[in-house]
Amino acid sequence: MSKGRGPDRRNLLGALAASLGAIVGLFVAPRLAGGRRNGSKAHAEGTDADQRTRRWGMVIDLDRCTGCGACSVACRSENNVPTGGPGDKWRGRRIDWMHLRRTTDGKFPNVRTSVFPMPCNQCEDPACIRVCPVGATYLNEEGLVAQIWDQCIGCRYCMMACPYSRRYFNWFEPEWPESHRNMLNPEVATRPVGVVEKCTFCHHRIRNAQQQARIDGRKLADGDVQTACQEVCPARAIKFGDLDDPNSEVAKLAASPRAFRMLEDVGTKPKVYYLAKDWTP
Amino acid sequence: MTDRSSQLPYGVGRLGVGFWLFMAAMAGVFGVGVYAYAHELQAGPGSSGMRNLGDDAGAAWGMYIVFYVFFVGVSFPGITLAALIRLMRIRVLEPIARLAELLAVISLLLAGLAVVADLGRPMDGLILLPKFARPMSPFFGTFTLVIAGYFFASFVYLYLTSRRDMAACAKVPSRLRWLHRLWAAGYRDTPGERSRHDHATFWLALLIIPLLITAHSTLGFVFGIQVGRPGWFGTLQAPAFVVLAGVSGVGFSILLVALLRKVMHLEHVISERVFPWLGNFLWVLSAIYIYFMISEWLTVSYAGREIAKDVEHSLTLGPYAVPFYITIGTLAAAFVLPLIGFLTRRWSMWLLIPAGICANVAAVLKRYVLVVSSQTHGSLLGETPGSYAPAWGEYAVIAGLFALGAMLYAAFLKAFPIVPVVGHDDEPIEKAAPDRAHGRRLVLFWATLTAGIVLATAGFQLSPGDVPRAGVPYAPVLFIVGVMLMFLSAIVYELVPAKDAAELPAADPPAADQPQGES
Repeated sequence: MSKGRGPDRRNLLGALAASLGAIVGLFVAPRLAGGRRNGSKAHAEGTDADQRTRRWGMVIDLDRCTGCGACSVACRSENNVPTGGPGDKWRGRRIDWMHLRRTTDGKFPNVRTSVFPMPCNQCEDPACIRVCPVGATYLNEEGLVAQIWDQCIGCRYCMMACPYSRRYFNWFEPEWPESHRNMLNPEVATRPVGVVEKCTFCHHRIRNAQQQARIDGRKLADGDVQTACQEVCPARAIKFGDLDDPNSEVAKLAASPRAFRMLEDVGTKPKVYYLAKDWTP
Repeated sequence: MTDRSSQLPYGVGRLGVGFWLFMAAMAGVFGVGVYAYAHELQAGPGSSGMRNLGDDAGAAWGMYIVFYVFFVGVSFPGITLAALIRLMRIRVLEPIARLAELLAVISLLLAGLAVVADLGRPMDGLILLPKFARPMSPFFGTFTLVIAGYFFASFVYLYLTSRRDMAACAKVPSRLRWLHRLWAAGYRDTPGERSRHDHATFWLALLIIPLLITAHSTLGFVFGIQVGRPGWFGTLQAPAFVVLAGVSGVGFSILLVALLRKVMHLEHVISERVFPWLGNFLWVLSAIYIYFMISEWLTVSYAGREIAKDVEHSLTLGPYAVPFYITIGTLAAAFVLPLIGFLTRRWSMWLLIPAGICANVAAVLKRYVLVVSSQTHGSLLGETPGSYAPAWGEYAVIAGLFALGAMLYAAFLKAFPIVPVVGHDDEPIEKAAPDRAHGRRLVLFWATLTAGIVLATAGFQLSPGDVPRAGVPYAPVLFIVGVMLMFLSAIVYELVPAKDAAELPAADPPAADQPQGES
């Protein structure tokens, strides 16, 4: 029976000990259980016949790129990216997974225009996945910054976090011209209004290639996977493959003295490499 | 039952023409806000002024986030004042504690509504956040600690500190008697009850303060950890958010106290000596915030990256110059005007009311320039700046939220006395002899508190990490429930009834004060 106004000392000590034990147990138990909650390798989805996961990356040769825009068009077509329109309604609201960024340096007549095809950089340490409140975007085992579109609540925090502004919000219910509706790709889900989307490195094509390799009982070879932008580029400026495979074309090009990445000092470790003989940041 | 609502104090239960006119006007504004939001839901978030980020684009976070932060800021002094009044026994401020606590509760509710209004998929958000919220995201802290934990803690504090007055009101037969009785929950104003209340509110006040600092800091971290947004990224954001919350909240409190004192004729209850305290808080907090702004500006302009200077340039000489300089001016006014009062020892309403208005204008505009400028002009890639102009719907929704807050506040004024009714606060709290139920009370209290700590810890640990959907579904709810239980233990401690014949009630509780003028 307590004697004063304050808590009884035995009750206090008992309750504190019980709380402390419970807290320690609750912190330790998940770690003892294998920590599946964080970065688990329990299930590496989409591994192919040689059971090796990949580190998918892209190399874009700016010295070959002509700025024709075929990559951007192919990407929209392949991934059911909704069309925008003219006028102020669509200013800043068009979705452009493979965005061609044009920059102009210098003054007339010494002007230089550069064209940067900019997909999602699929960073190895992405800022966007850390801030998502519901885990709608995450880093999968193959180094892709993946998305679960029906998990997205449209808070747009990932857009704030991305230093490259590579994420797009569906500001309106997506629409396609009548003529286009029969040409939507059934392998890629359409996204509803209120959801953030971005380049996926044609994740569905990676899955298809891995499945085919499994069916054929062979290893996935360099060049088996081609993203839509890579496939259509007339200058063959875009290469895609496994950066962890030392024999892959992307791995060799990424080691080229012409290679650089965007905002390397920010710490996101982007996996899109650009090649340019003369490039000033 | 004879309705003796006229005997209830401070206009409680009496709904005059003025009240109905006010509510009708607010309901109209709220209705326009609801219509605007419904239109936005139907037409898409693109019907607002927000756009994507990038070249020649705009801002993806706009007025809703600005006012979300504003409403959370206004809630800051509500509980801080109430907690400081309790901890430091600032008697002269006690009459305004309840109105400040109510301000905190209502403004947190409005903050929650503002952030839900901003979501692209609000219905999914209301389900997915409790189900899959990730502790690593700063929004987890915002959602759980601010909107749930802090809101609930404020409500518990408001509830417990009002019970005594509700019990006094419950003695008057009126239409609201059922509510007063329910709220009072058997309060008997015995020495034992007062002693337990004093004890419970001490610890509650003490523990609410770290929760408050954490919750406001989380809001600052939402912006401060964004390495990709010059103007946001920085270590000062969290403390700056806490301080600016104090500035806007104290300013709002000054205006609210002055208004209610005048409209409800509370001059004899709320002493004029309240205003020097609030004024002093205001100039001190404004001074600290001005210091933060100077520190940030000096650092960036002296040695900042070129890209970061673009954001500063947009504020000082670019498209945000007008709101930026108005912010500087109003913040300076919020500092200088109450400082004049401090130095001259004359606290005129002509100093304080403009100071309060300036503090809130500064808070809104500062948050606007902070939130928007780093999106339109803060690009590490040197993208072409964009622009953001709020659409009519955004203004309407925000106005609707203010109207809702005003309606809720006015409704509360008519349901409960906004200032203390039972006026023997100067009596020392006697150390009461323990009653027979004290042991059981302590067991229940510790059981509730322990359960709260355990659940909160479990909920935090079991919430999803890096692998989506890998945690236990609804673990964030466990965390919130745990935090709530921790604060609910204070209610348990006070509400477990005494059971001792030796604990006699004190002299009959004084009757409610004579009816005051209606509002």
